[in-house]
Amino acid sequence: MSLEDRHHTDTAPGDEYGEEDIAKGLRGYFIGLVLASLLTVASFAILHAHFVWAPAIPVALLVFAIAQMGVHLVFFLHITTGPDNTNNVMALAFGVLIVVLLFGGSVWIMNNMNRNMMPPMSASPQAPAMPMHH
Amino acid sequence: MLGKLTWDAIPLSQPVPLIASGVVGLVILGVLSWIVFGGHLPYLWREWITSVDHKRIGVMYCILALVMLIRGFSDAILMRSQQALAYQSPGYLPPEHYDQIFSAHGTIMIFFGAMPFIIGLMNFVVPLQLGVRDVAFPTLNSVSFWLTATGALLVNVSLVIGEFARTGWWPSPPLSEITYSPGVGVDYYLWAIQISGVGTLMSGVNLVTTILKMRAPGMSYLRMPMFCWTSLASNLLIVAAFPILTATLAMLILDRYLGFHFFTDEAGGNSMMFMNLFWAWGHPEVYILALPAYGIFSEVISTFSGKPLFAYRSMVGATMAIFVLAFMVWLHHFFTMGAGGDVNGIFAVTSMIIAVPTGVKIFDWLFTMYGGRIRLTTPMLWSLAFMITFVVGGATGVLLAIPTADFVLHNSMFLVAHFHNVMVSAVLFGAFAGYTYWFPKAFGFRLDEWWGKTAFWFSVAGYVIVFTPFYVLGLMGMTRRMQHYDVDGWRPWILIAGFGVIVMLVGVICQIVQLVVSIRRRESLRDVTGDPWDGRSLEWATSSPPPVFNFAVMPRVEGEEAYWAIKQRAREQARLRDEPDYEPVEMPLNSPTGFICAFFSTLIGFAMIWHIWWLALVGLAGAFATFVVFAWRDRVEYEIPAASVARINRANRATRAQALEHAERRAA
Amino acid sequence: MTDALALQPQARVRTDPNHLGHHARAGEGHAKATGRGTGGPSSKRIIVGYGFWIFLLSDIVMFAAFFSAYAVLQTGTAGGPTGAELFDLQNVALETGFLLISSFVCGVAGLALAAKRHLIFQAGMALTFLFGAAFLLLEAREFLDLVDRGAGPTRSAFLSAFFTLVGCHGLHVSAGLLWLLTMMAQVATKGIRPEILRRVLCFSLFWHALDIVWVAVFTVVYLMGSIA
Repeated sequence: MSLEDRHHTDTAPGDEYGEEDIAKGLRGYFIGLVLASLLTVASFAILHAHFVWAPAIPVALLVFAIAQMGVHLVFFLHITTGPDNTNNVMALAFGVLIVVLLFGGSVWIMNNMNRNMMPPMSASPQAPAMPMHH
Repeated sequence: MLGKLTWDAIPLSQPVPLIASGVVGLVILGVLSWIVFGGHLPYLWREWITSVDHKRIGVMYCILALVMLIRGFSDAILMRSQQALAYQSPGYLPPEHYDQIFSAHGTIMIFFGAMPFIIGLMNFVVPLQLGVRDVAFPTLNSVSFWLTATGALLVNVSLVIGEFARTGWWPSPPLSEITYSPGVGVDYYLWAIQISGVGTLMSGVNLVTTILKMRAPGMSYLRMPMFCWTSLASNLLIVAAFPILTATLAMLILDRYLGFHFFTDEAGGNSMMFMNLFWAWGHPEVYILALPAYGIFSEVISTFSGKPLFAYRSMVGATMAIFVLAFMVWLHHFFTMGAGGDVNGIFAVTSMIIAVPTGVKIFDWLFTMYGGRIRLTTPMLWSLAFMITFVVGGATGVLLAIPTADFVLHNSMFLVAHFHNVMVSAVLFGAFAGYTYWFPKAFGFRLDEWWGKTAFWFSVAGYVIVFTPFYVLGLMGMTRRMQHYDVDGWRPWILIAGFGVIVMLVGVICQIVQLVVSIRRRESLRDVTGDPWDGRSLEWATSSPPPVFNFAVMPRVEGEEAYWAIKQRAREQARLRDEPDYEPVEMPLNSPTGFICAFFSTLIGFAMIWHIWWLALVGLAGAFATFVVFAWRDRVEYEIPAASVARINRANRATRAQALEHAERRAA
Repeated sequence: MTDALALQPQARVRTDPNHLGHHARAGEGHAKATGRGTGGPSSKRIIVGYGFWIFLLSDIVMFAAFFSAYAVLQTGTAGGPTGAELFDLQNVALETGFLLISSFVCGVAGLALAAKRHLIFQAGMALTFLFGAAFLLLEAREFLDLVDRGAGPTRSAFLSAFFTLVGCHGLHVSAGLLWLLTMMAQVATKGIRPEILRRVLCFSLFWHALDIVWVAVFTVVYLMGSIA
């Protein structure tokens, strides 16, 4: 299938466009496996790495996680930026937007709520007095 | 053996639920007897219960909605009458009942009244407007409907066996936790919503896929009818928002059943988080309901003004803007919970911004009407009433979006007035407009106009009389959900509202009478050609009701208002377009999967509510088995031969040719 | 009763009343793709695959809600044990490895099915099952161990959120394993029919998505939670 044709067809998510060569397909999965493994090892390793500034470690973990998700998407799920994959990428972008809004929004809101409304944290759990329910 | 279920669960000592369930029980028994002994069961099973046809499923959704709207309205009558009587007196409904009634009212109206109505209309109309034969996943569609029906069934069973939640329609902790609501009421709510929520989510996936991947050749995105755009936005919101509700209610279930501490007051739980997550679903939910209603108004106003929709692209833009913004405003439901000025301020701004695209739509509708030849049919009347009353509701919404104002008005009757204003104006009026507009397409005869207009006037008048006093009461300081009150100054307004609900009741009765009269007079109201309103979109290109395959051949679309272009060309050339080359059509087989799956889901829901664990496992196993059996089907489709397709199509062409000739002779 | 078609026809047929300009007539231009633009409905495989993709996105939103609850309740330990005290990172590394390998093997099985190599397909799926089941066993053992140590889900809000989030993922894996067995049975008894191929496509989408969610879980819950 020519590159021209990619403008005129659609690919189901998870399908690879016009790929019929088994060897090439296997190679893609192998690369994905290797990259994902490397990123996983890196994540575990950097946790207690003394040569990294401590506050940067969570950021590094986040970056590695996002990179690994990208590796899964590209090599295992065959999501590409080709015109045949536009709909799939749009849907994914929509999902990511909702996740960011929900997660980010909730954490931000609840942090503010807790700071303003919760009793000060102490060593032992405090159960605030509750009014009787009628 | 039977968990918590005992004979005490039946409210033998409480007259109100006993009488209500008695009446309902008799009605159900009567209907079932008529079906079974009248020999209608095979027809019903074959043509409706196991149907995977989007048109049949859409109709069933709407029937469920209408029945549940009546149930929700009867709760409203109880509430209005209780408040009218309860000035310095306990009224006739003790608090533990009144609490269940207002909780049931909200739950039923939103989840089992408005949602099924809107989803039903989308189900029926969208494939027809897109020029395709069915939705993307027909059997899944059937499953979705029957799961929704299961939820409705469970809520109604709570009237007879056990009790309903007393927490309001959003069960906020700590009141909804097991400590303060030890009964089964909250559990009924939780399982009914969880099960029907799965159905709604599946419906969302179904319609998104249909709109994005299945359209007639030539129908690009910017040639879709406006109703399809709003349905797309609404279903994308369903896909994005309902999982949040599922997760949140699951957390509450875990708290109640397994002693988890998500929202408890001890062991580190955070009850405020429930409200945050609930309303992250709750706000998109109102747009899930309102956006298709806007779409219905676009169709109706355009058709009955005889003009294409004004500034179609701005309408699409406004719809997508509302859709994106819907996920950025949810905190305005709990300004007073204590997030602080910064957070409140940001969400106040976004809440005010979201009013703008709706304003764009109102102007576009007005400009559509301007210069058109307006026909004041019943759907058009509903649309006009919507435009006038919704602007008030929207304005009060912007007012409430100001946190300082909201601190005074939160959870007062002002809020109740606002959300009923927008919900009734947009969703209910839209649903009734759509119901009247598409009724002839579904059943082949129109609804009686006189009764329609009478119902309209009584309903709108009643609605105004009930809810305008609420604004006043809110400003006077009256809180929502009051079982009795002592304040002198509130009395006249509450009495006016009580009178208003009687006027609304007359409107509801008129709607029922309209249906009965129309059925009896259906021959004189017959829609012969399939195009009773001089419509502009593709559903009017089919007969009324459409054949099971919708279109003999998928139409080729060459502009917006696909059908209007076809019709105008036919009028100019004084003949119908050429007969297509007929080919055999493959349609999906009917399947009892949906109904049986819902049966097992009802078992699971009921069992979990009453802690009958073995029964829940049986239900789970049964549901899985149903799927496996469905997956092992060898035959999934049946073929309609080209000759039958031709015969059915030619019959409709004959009536249309006749009408065209008739028009020619009159013009000459 | 007025007949709709009896109304006056307009003088000119307006095919572009909103002045959008139509460069793509039906079936031409770069928008002629089926299901995209003007080419008519997509093929069944694309419809099914895309529909399942949308469902997966909704599932990920549900996980996001559980993640949000976890993030908020992380500090709600109620004087009980924290993540740093409880998590066994070696176990987590093993679980991650098993799930990643099962994802890889699932991909290979998909290739085999496309090449109509039944035996390799079944072997690949069986391996996927084994590694997935190994993951579940390790996770179940971890959960039971935590409960034994008095760090069960009822101990604190943090633990409730932990067990629910990780448990939800585990439930999805369990459902996936059940589905896997069903797919193996279907291919074995019905052979390679288009609808079976579509279902395997959906299964592989599901299985890979579960691994993506696991990346988020082990990073946010276990690794970040271990930074005391």
